[in-house]
Amino acid sequence: MRILLVEDDPDLGPAIARALRAEHCAVDLAADGIDAQHLGETEAYDAAVLDLGLPGRTGAEILAAWRANGRALPVLVLTAREAWADKVTAFKAGADDYLTKPFRVEELMMRLRALVRRAAGHAQTRITCGPLAFESQTGQFELDGLPLKLTAFEWRVLSQLILRREVLIERLELLERVYEGDADVDSNSLEVIIGRLRRKIGAERIETVRGRGYRLTCGEQPA
Amino acid sequence: MTGWSLRTRMVLLSALVTLVALGLAGWTMAGVLDRVVTGGVDQRLDAQLAVLASTVRSDGSVDRDRLAARQGALAAGPGWRWRIEGPRETLGSADFPALRTPFPGPAEAAPAALPPAPLDGEDAKGRIHARRLVVESNAGPVTLTAAAPGRVIGRPVRDALVPLASVIVALALIFALAAWVQLRFALRPLAALVAQIGAIRRGERTAVDEAQPAELQPLAAELNALAAANATTLAATRQSAANLAHALKTPVATLALTVPPDTPEAAQVRRIEGVIRHTLARARAAAVNRRASTAIAPVASDVAGVLGTLYPATAIRLEIAAYARISIDAHDLAEILGNLLDNAARHARSTVVVASAAAAPDRVALTIDDDGPGIPIERREQVLQPGVRLDEGPAGDGFGLAIVRDLVALYGGTMALEESPLGGLRVRLTCPDGTTA
Repeated sequence: MRILLVEDDPDLGPAIARALRAEHCAVDLAADGIDAQHLGETEAYDAAVLDLGLPGRTGAEILAAWRANGRALPVLVLTAREAWADKVTAFKAGADDYLTKPFRVEELMMRLRALVRRAAGHAQTRITCGPLAFESQTGQFELDGLPLKLTAFEWRVLSQLILRREVLIERLELLERVYEGDADVDSNSLEVIIGRLRRKIGAERIETVRGRGYRLTCGEQPA
Repeated sequence: MTGWSLRTRMVLLSALVTLVALGLAGWTMAGVLDRVVTGGVDQRLDAQLAVLASTVRSDGSVDRDRLAARQGALAAGPGWRWRIEGPRETLGSADFPALRTPFPGPAEAAPAALPPAPLDGEDAKGRIHARRLVVESNAGPVTLTAAAPGRVIGRPVRDALVPLASVIVALALIFALAAWVQLRFALRPLAALVAQIGAIRRGERTAVDEAQPAELQPLAAELNALAAANATTLAATRQSAANLAHALKTPVATLALTVPPDTPEAAQVRRIEGVIRHTLARARAAAVNRRASTAIAPVASDVAGVLGTLYPATAIRLEIAAYARISIDAHDLAEILGNLLDNAARHARSTVVVASAAAAPDRVALTIDDDGPGIPIERREQVLQPGVRLDEGPAGDGFGLAIVRDLVALYGGTMALEESPLGGLRVRLTCPDGTTA
């Protein structure tokens, strides 16, 4: 899960980024409105966490600009403004969820996961694929009913694959959604992660479509 | 003096003036009356003196036959007495009292032509009013004195003074009543001004009426300037408190992320969060404008739009008349409907219905129904306590219903929890109608 975090506070921004990374997310942090809008328009994110009061451009302006440019990424507005009038403004600009500061990390994570899951078209919180199950509320994977231990990168890749199970995911898109914007990406490292995942869940589960990307196959009719 | 009301001062002053004026009038009239009555008595006494004088012969002796014949003219009644003092003899009423020396003039300067002179004295029974006339005879001066009892003057004067005094007292009462009515009439604009200032304090007005009598107009203008300055200061104070609380949210959010959960530090962070919430709620409550009038439908539709995104599986149906208005500020109405609809949508299985209806005079009723599990009757009061949450779900801070109830009450409305025909909870708001505001 790659998240665009837009927060101008020099302490809160990095603190949220740390918390999100601890939950296996890839996080790009933008501290002003101009950067934020640019990143949202050019990079691929699973979701954005957007502050409303920003230098350069307000959160509502950025959001409206993204929507006007056809950017459909789920956006969670994270703001100190708790009035419903502000909430209405944010949703009219195209927000998908709204959380007020101060907040709990668990709550932020739960809402982000729910946004990403819904954006992928899943109504149920538990997504299964053969013996593999993904509890999207908590982010836990299970294999044959037992918890599956994954590293951050493995988790990012597998969550992408299971949210779009049985669908081909382009290699480039997968790279974009797994690595942070300023990361030094070694194109071989994705293959290394896929290899490790295959050892954990069974090689036949992740199908390589040569020259294009990967697909998670469930082997039977998806539940 | 400072403690005395204007009314007391003016009533006292007018009472004092009335008393002095009426006292003066009474005193003058009593004097006039006394003179008139005394004049009448004097005439009778002078007539008696003339009778007495006609009995004095030129040699100074008294013609007793003539005196006897004229006795009738002298016997006016008990206490009426006479005396003749001549060089030859002295006769007269047996009990003639000792009288003062003639007043005012000296006795030796008493020529025959002198008119009768007044002479007053006293005996055991009281005051005596007498007249004296000195007539010259060949034997020397003969002094004639006729006396009347004091009561013949005192009684008619008293008899006349009693109705006079009653009239004066009645006049005094009428004047006092007139002064009181005048005062009431004159002070009425002041009383109205006081009522308006009270309304400003209660937040029902922002200014007093400046169309005042000329004397009060500057006062009204100054009061309005004061009220405006006061409101500005107050608003600035509240705003700065709200700004402070607001500015604390981001650092507190950072702290909440940094402090490990379930530590004493985390508990302190939650306490700070509570203070921030409380301060902001109070600032908002203090800014309540009871004269606001807001169309319900657009606000409800905005809020429903938000919840439609948050709870895509729940249908939110609005049955609100286009003309329905409520006497609640738009911002606070969004807050109220937002919290209630959020609560309803979170618990609903599939449907939330918001409906408006006219209620008892000048009230509008809003009902929010859901088809969720509802709240058992015995727990309804409990959920209105701050911080109580019946569900264990993720969203909601547990303050929603209590905040809404308090906010509604600030606008003079009520909130009731009932059973919904849809099977879940019905929240019924009854608030002042905005169309009449």
